[in-house]
Amino acid sequence: MKEQTDEIIMAMVAKGNLDLLKILFKRHHLHVYNFLYKMCRDKMLSEDVTQEVFYNIMRYRASYKNGKFVSWMFTIARNSLRKHLKKAQVYHEDLDDISYRLIENEEPKEDYTHLQKALDKLNSTDKELLVLNRFQEIKYAELANIVGSTEGAVKTKVSRALKKLKVIYFENL
Amino acid sequence: MDTKHVIDLLPDYLDQVLDTVQKQKVEAHLKECSACSKELEQLKNLFDAFANEETAIPSNQVEANFLELLEQEKREVAKVVPLNSKEPSTKSGWGNFLKVAASIAMLIGSFMLGRHLQERESHVEIAALQDEGLELRQTAMLSLMENKSASRRIQGVNYIDEFGNPDETIVKALTDRMLHDENTNVRMASAEALEKFTASEIVKDAFIKALKVEKDPGIQISIIQTLVRIQEKKAVMPLKELMQQDETQPFVKEQIESLLPSII
Repeated sequence: MKEQTDEIIMAMVAKGNLDLLKILFKRHHLHVYNFLYKMCRDKMLSEDVTQEVFYNIMRYRASYKNGKFVSWMFTIARNSLRKHLKKAQVYHEDLDDISYRLIENEEPKEDYTHLQKALDKLNSTDKELLVLNRFQEIKYAELANIVGSTEGAVKTKVSRALKKLKVIYFENL
Repeated sequence: MDTKHVIDLLPDYLDQVLDTVQKQKVEAHLKECSACSKELEQLKNLFDAFANEETAIPSNQVEANFLELLEQEKREVAKVVPLNSKEPSTKSGWGNFLKVAASIAMLIGSFMLGRHLQERESHVEIAALQDEGLELRQTAMLSLMENKSASRRIQGVNYIDEFGNPDETIVKALTDRMLHDENTNVRMASAEALEKFTASEIVKDAFIKALKVEKDPGIQISIIQTLVRIQEKKAVMPLKELMQQDETQPFVKEQIESLLPSII
């Protein structure tokens, strides 16, 4: 079973073999967690959302349609994260975090790598594309699936985002 | 020697996903062109940084909770089966319903509690900042856009996402960046940011003006697409002029030629 593809395993989960979900969890929970952590920089939130992602995979197993499992998983992950961030925003009565960032930026956290700091300066769309494409090694076709766009458009966007990142990265090196 | 730069192909070259013909083309060009070689060097550096980034490890709680939820779900599934059997018992049906209801209530309860605790923590700071929130944001954005560093300016431009309905000062500052910034990436970021506010006359005029002054083909294309999307008729003449100019890149001309008829 260990050698089976994600898709075959997930198809069996969808049919009711719930225990097999443990394999998918073992294979992918670090990917989900690291994606979330890179996006929101909040360990607690990332842990909560990681759990929620796999819970939703389990709950909505019947709606899995044999597509690439990883694309489906990251689609769920980014939707969950967005929902949580939105909730937080409503709660903060629309006071966005710029004022926070201004204060925080005075003392950049020491344990962030130079790359992380550079990524944080991009807008969230660009950052998300690069995190998925470069850290999670998601190919353009699947990336297009996840963000709801076409392969060509995603390729152009990734390439632009990479150029922006490069400027930021080397300017502050 | 192939004189066309290969910068756009370099990421795929490093990822080794180019076909043989393209790969040879890139390698031949790299031998001759120091600019592209330097670009490759930087990109390799950046990709190494991505590769060397450490994987963060969540606490064991995540797995434990997931396994717990999984067992719970398995029990639920097991309980649903007898319901379909010959003698459905209303009692166990209610039991299931109550259990599900209880677990949902618990989920919501713990979520609310967590939210409440988190909110309490940040409440004091928020209150202090609330009054000056909008003004502060605006000042922050404007001053970032004036920064010496290009990356800071891009960051400033990107703050536009934080404003649903930016006022004239901000829009003017953005158009100013798009038209006059010395850095291509800043101009590009500003053009992208302004795409959302094409309802404003100031923005439309700025795009048309940019068409005349912008020399970077990437930004030119982006501007052309925006103008065509909003069907700006005032753009027709400048577009035609751009097509006539010798220094305009052939693919930009092609783009205009194919899109111009769609402005009716």
